[in-house]
Amino acid sequence: MGLETDNDLIDQQGPGFIITSVDKLVNWARTGSMWPVTFGLACCAIEMMHAGAARYDTDRFGVFFRPSPRQSDVMIVAGTLVNKMAPALRKVYDQMAEPKWVISMGSCANGGGYYHHSYSVVRGCDQIIPVDIYVPGCPPTSEALINGIIELQEKIKNEESIANG
Amino acid sequence: MDSEEYSKTLEERFHQYKIDVSMNRANPEIEVNHEHMIEFANKLKKDESYEILMDVIAVDFLTYGDVDWKTNDATNTGYSRAVKPTIIPDIDETFKERFAVFYQLLSISNNQRLTLKVFASESNPPSVPSLVDIWSSADWFEREAFDLMGIHFEGHPDLRRILTDYGFIGHPFRKDFPTNGNLEVVYDEEKEEVVYQPVSISTRPTVPRVIRDRND
Repeated sequence: MGLETDNDLIDQQGPGFIITSVDKLVNWARTGSMWPVTFGLACCAIEMMHAGAARYDTDRFGVFFRPSPRQSDVMIVAGTLVNKMAPALRKVYDQMAEPKWVISMGSCANGGGYYHHSYSVVRGCDQIIPVDIYVPGCPPTSEALINGIIELQEKIKNEESIANG
Repeated sequence: MDSEEYSKTLEERFHQYKIDVSMNRANPEIEVNHEHMIEFANKLKKDESYEILMDVIAVDFLTYGDVDWKTNDATNTGYSRAVKPTIIPDIDETFKERFAVFYQLLSISNNQRLTLKVFASESNPPSVPSLVDIWSSADWFEREAFDLMGIHFEGHPDLRRILTDYGFIGHPFRKDFPTNGNLEVVYDEEKEEVVYQPVSISTRPTVPRVIRDRND
């Protein structure tokens, strides 16, 4: 980062420069290892598995599925969320350590989708947890999910990590 | 022996149970009164070697024969089946020939399939005898039929709901159950837990709003 020129830049641009630079470093580190908690609920989970397996290999982005919410940064809600599962989804989300993000994958998780008028399905997982990225499709292709992950990385890169603690 | 002959043989052999034999595609379908059902099912297993119960199916005949989709009127609201807010029918309501239960049996040794049909009793809840003691696979099938159709299986060792939510009220596969249900779940920020509330959406018409005559 060229520390010898930083003092000149602080003189020119004020102390915010250091915060934004550290933000960039922190965000870069965060985007480089987003570990999703496995929350496959339906056929979307098959596409999620494809994205994680050899052909698409999300490990290239540092995206590496974890079986525990305690070790995860991002939750991929892949599939139909039913009323009976909703408290469990919220519990798993609450167990994740901050900072945490949520990707809603597929029509059902986005807004109930095909089952919007059903007696047993939650009309979008954003009724239960806050969602960062919505990936459309029924199911979305693995490429679409990877695009969603990249979009989430872009979103994280613009966050003010230091100012938010 | 072909299936026609086989069904005639069955009819003669079991005539004391007042059975009604018909053909379901290439296989016999036997309707039996629920008083004789256990005895008859036992005979089917022991004498006719139907070793396996493949599936249990419950049918609601409430709107049987009604053709909702055959209409000349185009409305803005569409057809209204299953949107009435009925949760549970009144206590004194009887279900005359409303619910039937079908059992799909398979005989491995004779390479033969058979459908057993029984109408549930007219009490509330409608009930049929449980077949768990004869075919143990009936256990979860009957729990499913109880959960979704509200049919009581007398003698079932553990008749609990199997699929729907904990504390769910009603039986969703009944024709008078509203398709939207009665409750939905949301997260309550103040209570910090998932809570139930009445459904916030209304039923959407499921027929075309414009019906055109065929151009012939």
